[in-house]
Amino acid sequence: MSATQEIEFRDAIRDAMSEEMRRDKRVMLIGEEVAEYNGAYKVSRGMLDEFGPRRVIDTPISESGFAGMAIGAAMLGLRPVVEFMSWSFSLVAADPILNNAPKMLFMSGGQFGCPIVFRGNDGAGGQLGSTHSWCVEGLFSNVPGIKIVIPSTPADAKALMKTAIRDDDPVFFMESERLLGMKGDVPVGDDVLLKFGQACVRRTGTDCTLASWGRPVHFCMEAAEELAKEGISCEVIDLRTIRPLDIGSIERSVRKTSNLVIVDQSWSFGSPGSEVAAQIHQRCFDDLDNHVHRVHTEDVPAPYAFNLEQEYLPNTRKICEAVRSATYNA
Amino acid sequence: MPRLSDTMESGTIVRWNVKEGDAVKSGMVVADIETDKATMEMPVFDDGKILKLLVPAGQQVKVGTQIALILEDGESLDGAQAATSAGAPNASAAGRPSQSASANTFVSANSSTRGASSVEPIDAQAEEILQADGARVRVSPVARRIAEQERVDLGSLKGSGPGGRIIKRDVMNALENRGSNPAAKTTDAPRTGAMSTSTSQSSATPHVAASSSLAVPVSPTPRSNGLVVAGLQSTEVAVSSMRQIIAKRLVESKTTIPHYQVTMKFELDRLMALREKLNSELASMGIKLSVNDFIVRGCALSMAKHPYINASWAGEKILMHQQVNVGVAVALDEEKGGGLLVAVIRDVDRKSLRAISSETKTLSEKARSRGLSMEDMSDSTFTVSNLGMFGVENFTAIINPPNSAILACGAALKQPVVRDDQLTIGYEMTATLSLDHRVIDGAMAARWLNTLKGLLENPASLLV
Repeated sequence: MSATQEIEFRDAIRDAMSEEMRRDKRVMLIGEEVAEYNGAYKVSRGMLDEFGPRRVIDTPISESGFAGMAIGAAMLGLRPVVEFMSWSFSLVAADPILNNAPKMLFMSGGQFGCPIVFRGNDGAGGQLGSTHSWCVEGLFSNVPGIKIVIPSTPADAKALMKTAIRDDDPVFFMESERLLGMKGDVPVGDDVLLKFGQACVRRTGTDCTLASWGRPVHFCMEAAEELAKEGISCEVIDLRTIRPLDIGSIERSVRKTSNLVIVDQSWSFGSPGSEVAAQIHQRCFDDLDNHVHRVHTEDVPAPYAFNLEQEYLPNTRKICEAVRSATYNA
Repeated sequence: MPRLSDTMESGTIVRWNVKEGDAVKSGMVVADIETDKATMEMPVFDDGKILKLLVPAGQQVKVGTQIALILEDGESLDGAQAATSAGAPNASAAGRPSQSASANTFVSANSSTRGASSVEPIDAQAEEILQADGARVRVSPVARRIAEQERVDLGSLKGSGPGGRIIKRDVMNALENRGSNPAAKTTDAPRTGAMSTSTSQSSATPHVAASSSLAVPVSPTPRSNGLVVAGLQSTEVAVSSMRQIIAKRLVESKTTIPHYQVTMKFELDRLMALREKLNSELASMGIKLSVNDFIVRGCALSMAKHPYINASWAGEKILMHQQVNVGVAVALDEEKGGGLLVAVIRDVDRKSLRAISSETKTLSEKARSRGLSMEDMSDSTFTVSNLGMFGVENFTAIINPPNSAILACGAALKQPVVRDDQLTIGYEMTATLSLDHRVIDGAMAARWLNTLKGLLENPASLLV
């Protein structure tokens, strides 16, 4: 393992983009306030200075327009990174990102690919109200042709972003506003990449498997710590990407623990969580000691009030309750 | 109708030895039953009184059909009558006998007492497990799987999950407690098909104490499929991983390779004489050549003329091996559980007898003391198995995949033999070659054996 340095999540993403832009002239960044303002969330600090306005491009507030433009650029050979200030705002660009990008290779009979990365904040940022608190993986994971990356640590964010930029297919890269300031050790150097579809065991345990991705992984770690005091040993699996989905790692863990709790901050109906549950029920039926439990965001629009929003989201308390129930310790 | 043989699907009551109203005691033979195999005596496991004989002598009925009702002491008639009037397929109104008011029937517990689902045919729920009080047992999938593997009687457990669901923890607890009271926890008691309704009956059978973790007592009484085996007592021995591999590989070999055997006799007078001479002259150098060493070298040299014996079937093609690596089967100590390893001597066609001998000895000793490495056991192209040292005259061996042939050698025995039309005494060895017919045909095998015969019977050729 090479040396590491402690940096913020946002800078890990910036470093990944900058390194790839130095490496490959076709890579560019486009979005609202990514250039002059250094990013609405300061993810692209210093990039305009280094790469200039032809490769770091500010756009008007017109997601459908700049997403479509970037898709065209990708079809003709560039490798754009498109920043959505929030994935909530990507919904106005649904047609280009869902109806064009992921189908282009298929519809053109292999003539045009679409090597593009869409990135931005996903999930509740904290009191942003119903329309700006989207967790879009529930919607988007339903679409074939899209790769979906949802990292939980700065190191993963950097390594997966580099893989995303080098990938020949559209990659939806989902960050969390609540994690951008998180610091973590990130390997130094240009060449650390992570393959998609490889989950990571964050904590080993014997009684119950907790599977999650993105920010809720941290809630799972807190819950596992608390449950350990009660004598319940949890194994925490961070999926890192949900398409491709590393179901094999969850399967292996469930064969050991016989119990699975999925923590997914999207709504429960037709979600990645329900897909994982279905696949595990199919693959591990004879290994399960209880049905798969799921902790999701409540099935209502996001409330604004702080206390209500906390109750609305998956949280440590809910995870603990689900694990106790799954392991018959309720 | 109990299942009295593993293939029995129906039985005929040849004769009732009791009539309605008779008192019966546990162990009493109440009927003779004709199965697909034989006529067998059928005892009861409970004390009580015969209330009703539901199937007359001479009639054939399917396994699981009610054939009679017994009232246990203290039981009244109403429950039993309800059971009878409801007809054979179910006795839903009766509930379970333990409440005092129903009959103990000659039917499997689950079909007689299914409870609510009175319209369902018997077969639909034949595998359902009932608790002692007749309630349906809910079991989590993993608990059910472990219980099946470890033969824990789920009906005897109390579930701690919601609605009484038996969960993994309950089964694991039962397994832990098994040491102190083995009989109560295993599936000794007939779950289906037999006549007892109480697990305590079968626990009266003597059990071997579980003194070591390897040996756990096995019930001599019926398994969960209802098979009745009279009085067979066994001890379970855990299967070592080596034996598992042997089992898997040999089943695979014997079921996927079209085996056939060709046997030949070898005159070994000259070889035995040569061996004796060499060994006496080389004794000071610590060299002792075995008959097997000559055979291994002979086999390897025979490959040059018959490369198909030194080949592997590979689906769409046959692999003709460039090296001749001969596997030598090494038996491990029986006291340590036995087992078999194949030590591989590489490039045998290019090695002297002395090298073959010392390598075989080294590998055999290593196999018996600390086991062989993957390298020691891989890449064989042909195998020799020799039971001559036990005085075995002849045997056949199972091919060691991916080899296409294995030579099974008996002992070089002093025998009356015919030499030059004269009856005399000579050494003779019988060896049987097992072959994969996909690669080697009979005539090819015979020609190879003849080449080997030429070498072993003119053993000077093995020295140079």
